[in-house]
Order: sequence, then structure tokens, then C-alpha cells
Amino acid sequence: MSGGEILRLEGIDKRFPGVHALNQVDLDLVEGEIHMLLGENGAGKSTLLKILSGSILKDSGRILLRGRPVEITDAHHARTLGIGMVYQELSLVPGLTVAENIFLGRWPTRAGGLINWPEMVTQAEAVLGSLGVPVDPRVRVRNLSVAEQQLTEIARVLALDVQILLLDEPTSALSDRDRDRLFGFLRGLRGKGVSVLYTSHRLGEIREIGDRATVLRDGRKVGTVAVADAAEDTVVRMMVGRDIRERFPKTPVPIGAPVLTVRNLRASNLLRDISFTLHSGEILGVFGLRGAGRTTLARSLFGLARLESGEVLVNGGGIEVTSPEEAIRHGIGYTTEDRREGLVPMMGLPPNITLASLDGVTRAGIIDHREEQRIGARLVEDLRIQPPVLSRPVRLLSGGNQQKVVLAKWLASKSRVLIFDEPTRGIDVGAKTEVFQLMGRLCAQGVGLLMLSSEIPEVLAMADRILVMHRGRIAAEYARGEATQEDLLRSAVGLSGSGMEEA
Amino acid sequence: MTQHGYGSWVTRLLLKGGPIIALFLLAGYLSAVSPHFRTTSNFMNVLAQTSVTAILAVGQTLVIISGGIDLSVAAMMALAGSLSAVSLAYWGWSVWLGLPLGLAMGTLLGLLNGLVITKGRIPDFIATLGMMTTARGVSLLLTQGLPVPSHVTAIQLKAYLPPELIWLGSGAVLGVPVPAVVAVATALLGWTVLHYSRLGRSALAVGGNREAARVSGINVDRARIAVYAFSGFTAGIGGLVLTGRLNSANALMGEGMELQSIGAVVLGGTNLFGGEGTVVGTAVGALIMGVLGNGLNLLNVSAFWQRVVMGLVIIIVVIFDQWRRRRFGA
Ligand SMILES: Nc1ncnc2c1ncn2[C@@H]1O[C@H](COP(=O)(O)OP(=O)(O)OP(=O)(O)O)[C@@H](O)[C@H]1O
Ligand SMILES: [Mg+2]
Repeated sequence: MSGGEILRLEGIDKRFPGVHALNQVDLDLVEGEIHMLLGENGAGKSTLLKILSGSILKDSGRILLRGRPVEITDAHHARTLGIGMVYQELSLVPGLTVAENIFLGRWPTRAGGLINWPEMVTQAEAVLGSLGVPVDPRVRVRNLSVAEQQLTEIARVLALDVQILLLDEPTSALSDRDRDRLFGFLRGLRGKGVSVLYTSHRLGEIREIGDRATVLRDGRKVGTVAVADAAEDTVVRMMVGRDIRERFPKTPVPIGAPVLTVRNLRASNLLRDISFTLHSGEILGVFGLRGAGRTTLARSLFGLARLESGEVLVNGGGIEVTSPEEAIRHGIGYTTEDRREGLVPMMGLPPNITLASLDGVTRAGIIDHREEQRIGARLVEDLRIQPPVLSRPVRLLSGGNQQKVVLAKWLASKSRVLIFDEPTRGIDVGAKTEVFQLMGRLCAQGVGLLMLSSEIPEVLAMADRILVMHRGRIAAEYARGEATQEDLLRSAVGLSGSGMEEA
Repeated sequence: MTQHGYGSWVTRLLLKGGPIIALFLLAGYLSAVSPHFRTTSNFMNVLAQTSVTAILAVGQTLVIISGGIDLSVAAMMALAGSLSAVSLAYWGWSVWLGLPLGLAMGTLLGLLNGLVITKGRIPDFIATLGMMTTARGVSLLLTQGLPVPSHVTAIQLKAYLPPELIWLGSGAVLGVPVPAVVAVATALLGWTVLHYSRLGRSALAVGGNREAARVSGINVDRARIAVYAFSGFTAGIGGLVLTGRLNSANALMGEGMELQSIGAVVLGGTNLFGGEGTVVGTAVGALIMGVLGNGLNLLNVSAFWQRVVMGLVIIIVVIFDQWRRRRFGA
């Protein structure tokens, strides 16, 4: 934190129909600082950032850039002012290559206005290389994992020469290693005087990268603190307005009979020799680095990827799953890694929530709207989805609240086996605790949970057993309490740790 | 994030009631400038003329909601109507067989559309464009390019269409044209399917986000096939009504109605990209087109200009619709 003030916001106000998203928010950003923007789901963080990036317009308030008032009219205008943003929801064009996406709209050209392809690829390689992103710029974005897409998205904005960088939950899909690289890069930018406004629900990052933090609650500013002299608990209290006593509430549940058994599974040219058993009432954590095959495993069990060989048994009976429809019929549920794959954006909450269990609300072929509303209302309350307006299309919910709707859908489905792929991605501290409590409740009802997560503390605290995957195989298995953070990381990179069974 | 309901009634009306407002403004204007517009007989006339478009538009609504488009509705209608007419006038079938035959034909054609699109992995636009030409061709072969029954056959062979079919197209119950009654019944059916059946829900989900529908266990292909079959079915209904109204079927009847049906759906506020829409809106959209055509006639606007105006109105209403969606975040 060296230079003077570069950006000042005064009394920023924004209303959406039925929601006062930002209520008289002030904020100042200093040259060369990383400023954390914190708050619960729906607090208004993304709205504030989007106003600065020109993708939505404020209702009132003043924005001063280097002391001079500006009206940011659109994204292009923001860019000419030196402001760049990485959006919370991925916004790449799936059908184009990584390089084309990075230079979208400003492709390097040759004389005559034709696009200079080799030049573009070289430049893209340079940008990706400086971030340490191992992605081929010639690959289409459609074929990238969520983490790779997120890295591409970041690279795209970093390729612009910006003075103010807005990052909306850039690390929600990143592994620790990618995150470390990103942070290294951000520190470099800070050294060059670039200012960063940064939101995240990963509390550890506040201290790791932040200089100051501003907390929003219900659209209002609660306060700004210097990170160095604010304890994590203080920040959490500012965010949620109360103390959170137990961050990882783990209810002991008796472990029952096997609900899901996988034997010698082989799939998608990646998975090999996968064998494990999931029991009723058990949370089986699956940890691994990017590309280790966790999501592929989930997708093959759910009928979204083809099995080459191997056996899958549910409740002791062998099943063959070639589509999600069949998987659901056998009592398997799956929350996708990318929540946009799980929601119908224009639909309201209840129809989204009952989408995977329409049988439950159909009587003699007729959808029972009253029952559907009842189920929707109950889960909205259980998960504290905000705002609790059932008819609101889910695309108008904040990212974290959308994630809760995805979870609600599978809670409504009465599945016996639930596969959660990064279930807490993008949801706030309070809501994480609620999700963990819910997982406990599900286990008590006899559900078996496969929890895929890159959050080591989460896996260590919640899982009854942990599988670590490495290059498509199960590299290690740990019982609860047996492993440390170190062990998981070592196994995940293929080094043998202690207490491990070689697969 | 203070709660204050979900917008005032004004925003709500602007959000949902766009087409209704347009219809009232239009009707109000025409009532003011043309006394004849206000008469009951003219009103019934508009209803009768709007009916066939409205019937086709019901199936079209479901197709568009599911993320597709059906360019073949008018051609399927012509083939279904022609087949019914041929069976009734020339093959001597009874109405109890001849009318269902038309409906079955329409449904079958729609089913074929759905199968070609899903199993053949062909874009909806192309598949139904192909069906549009093919069905017209088959109708021409079937009728040998003549009306059914043609004047000659009617006189020489005493081949007539049964009175029940004529009634369907030109009769009236309690002063209301039968086609309008059929259109309302079809719209009710469409509304029920959309609102209360798994198929309707699946169509909304598939059109809103195909991937989400799939991972939620919806059989996407089956839903899309069913939606096209439904569109074929309503085209069959339209074929019977139109044949009754014209007193005969012909292979080229209703040309251009596929575009009118799409116009009605879009005017009714259904999202052309799928995922949201209502049958009631479509009915209102069809009425807007009907009232507009009627009004232009009454105002002695030439047929050439009528086309121009129709086209412009569709574009203007849709621009307005997009604007209010953005402005009010519908
Ligand atoms: N386009 C919109 N139309 C209506 N309401 C909206 C719109 N965008 C956001 N909102 C509402 O404004 C509020 C603030 O949303 P915002 O996305 O800024 O939250 P956030 O702090 O980024 O939350 P999260 O941590 O979950 O991403 C929410 O209640 C949200 O539902
Ligand atoms: Mg957000």
C-alpha cells in the first residue's frame, strides 16, 4: 500500500425489482493495494464490481477516478479507463479457442485487417506462460475443465493493461497450486502499482493476499479494516452479523451397509483400477489435484461419461448406467462442478428444485403445483436461500444462492447416493456451515455421500474416509483423523505418504 | 437488500402484460377510427380468421419454448387436411374415421420431425424446412394438384365433404364461430400440457438449459420428439378447420401460415431462444395479428402495404419486448 487514492466511490445505490442490492456504499481504493470485498451471498459484491466494470449501471452515487468524476457507461468504456474484470460466472465463448477468447474483440491483425493467427497464438502462449497456466491456446474452451476455464478467463483480463483489476471469486474453482501462482502474479502487479478489488469466500485468502478489506452486508457497507490488525473472527462477525461457533459441524452417524460399490472401473481414457465402497451414512471425501480425474469419476458414475469396463453396484445390485435418467432412477444424484449446468436460468425456484424428482410432485400425470411450492418453500427456508421469493427466476440470484438451489434440487430428490462436486464452491461462511449440517442430516437419513472437494480443511473435517486421486487412479486412502494436510498433498502429487495403501 | 414485494403492479404489467397492452391499444385505436370495427359481426369475423393461425401457434409455442422451431406447421396442416378430405370425399370413409385420420397424419409428421432432429442430429430449422417442402409435395401428389373435392368431381361423382367437417370450419355455436371454439379448446389443451404435464415442464427445462435438463434426469430427446409430435397434432386440427372453412382441401392451402404462427408466438412474449413463454400470450399474439389485418382492411390499406405493416409491427413489438426484459430484468 504505497501510492495515493486511485478510485473513490460515494453513495453508490442500486435497486433491482424487489431487492435493494447496494445501499449508499462508499469505498476507496489506493494505488497498489489488494482490497478484499467481503460479504455473504447476495450482499452485493458482484453488483458493485459490475457497476465498476460497466456491465450494469448504478442508480445513483458518484465514482471518482483519480479525483475526477466519471460515468462508466459500458464495458468498453471501463476498459479505456483502465478497468478490467474477471466475472464470477465464466463468460468465455465455448466454441472458440483459448487464444481467440483471450484476444476476443482485439485480435492481432495483419495488414488489410485479417487476423494474424500465429501471432495470436504466440501472444496467448506468452500470457498463459507468465501465469504458469498449462493450457494449449489452440484448444477450444468447451474442452477445458472449470479450473482451466477460470485460468483462461483471468489470463484474458491480465492480457489487458489495466490499472484497476476487479476479480470476482477468481479462485473458487482453482486448486491450491494454481491459486499460489495467481497470488504470485497479483503481488507482482501490486508492486507495479496496479490496484485490485478482490472478492472471495475463502477466508484464508484475506490474510494471504489482502491489504485492506471492506465488508458488505445486505447491500450496506459495514466497514473497512486493515487486514493486518483484524482477526478472522472479527471479519466473519462483520460479514454475518453474529459469531459462527463451529465452522465444520460434524455429526457422528453410525455407518451402515454399502450403498455404492465400484469395482475395477475404467473410463474415459483416464480412470483406471478404481475400486471403493460407499456406505450408508458415510461421507467419503475424494481429494485430488486438477486433472486427477475426480469429476470424470463422478460423471461416469452418473451416466455422463462412458465406462470402458468395471462394475457398479447400488445396494448390492449391479447396475448399468448410460444416462443421468437411469442414474437417478437408481437413486444416484450429482451436483455438477459448474452450477450453470444444473440450473434452468429463467425458471423460478420450485420448478428448479423439483426438476430431478418430478415423479414426487406428479399425481396421475399431473404436476401438483401446490406440493411443488411447498417443497420449494421448505428447502428455501432450510438452506436460507436469499431472497426467499419463490417466483424469482434463478438467474437473478447471487452466485452463492444459485449454488444452494442446486443443492436443494438433490435434497428434494431422495437419492440414496449423492455425489457432491465442490459443493461449497462460492458459498459464504455461514452457508457453508449450513451445508455441512445438511450433509450430516442426509447421512443420518442413511444417504451415502461422495464429497469431491479441493478444500483440504473441509475434506479433513467432514469426511469419514478420504480417497486421494492421482492421474486417474486412487493413490491413497485414509481413515478419518489419520491424514494431515501434508499427507493429502503428497499423495495427490503421487508421492507415497504415511498410512497409505498403495493402489 | 430490502424486500418490498416483487415490483409494483405497473412493473408487473409491463413485465407480463406487454402483448395485452398492445392488443388493447390497437383495438382502442381502431374502434375510434372505424365504427364498423366495433360491431359484433366484425368481431366474430376476426375470431374466425384468427383461429387457424392460433391453432397452429399453440403447437409452435411448445416447440419454441423447448428451444426449437417448426417451419413445417402449415405444410403439415395442408397434408393432414388433404388426406382427411380425400378419405372422406373419395374413399367413402365416415367422419369417425376420416377426421381422426387427419389428426393422426399430423401427429405422425410431427413425430418424424422430432425423430429426424434428435436421432439424425439435424438442426430444427433444417429438418422442418425439409418437412415443409416434402409435405407440400406429398399433398400435391395426393390431390394431384386439384382441390378436394374439385368442382368436376363434385358434380360428376357427387363427392362432397360431410357437413360435420364444413360445420367445423364455418358453423357457429351461440353465435360464436366454431373455429374460434376449436382454437380456444386447442389453447386450453396447450396450456394444460405446458402447465400441468411432465412434457410441458420438460420442454421449459430443455429450452431453458438443455444440459441442466439432462443432468436432472430428463430424457431430452424424448421430450423434443413429443413436442414436435404435439405441434403436428395441432397442425392436424388446423387442417380440419381450414378444410371446413374453405369447403375443400388443397395442397397449397395456408401457405405462409408457418411464419404467421411464429409471429403470433413471438408477439405473445415467448422467448425465441426457448425456456419461457405462455400459451395465453400466444393467443393474444394471434389476436393482435388478426385485429391488425382486419383493421388494415377496414381502413382500405392496400394488400401490398398490409404486408409491410405486419412485418414492421412484429419487429417493433419484439424490440419493445426485448427492451422491457432488459429494463425490468424479467
Ligand atoms: N439482474 C438482477 N436482477 C434482479 N436482482 C438482482 C440482479 N443481480 C443481482 N440481483 C440481486 O441483488 C443482490 C446482490 O447480488 P450480488 O450478485 O451482488 O451478490 P454477491 O454479494 O455477489 O453474492 P455471492 O457471494 O453469492 O456471489 C441479490 O439479492 C441478487 O439476487
Ligand atoms: Mg457474487
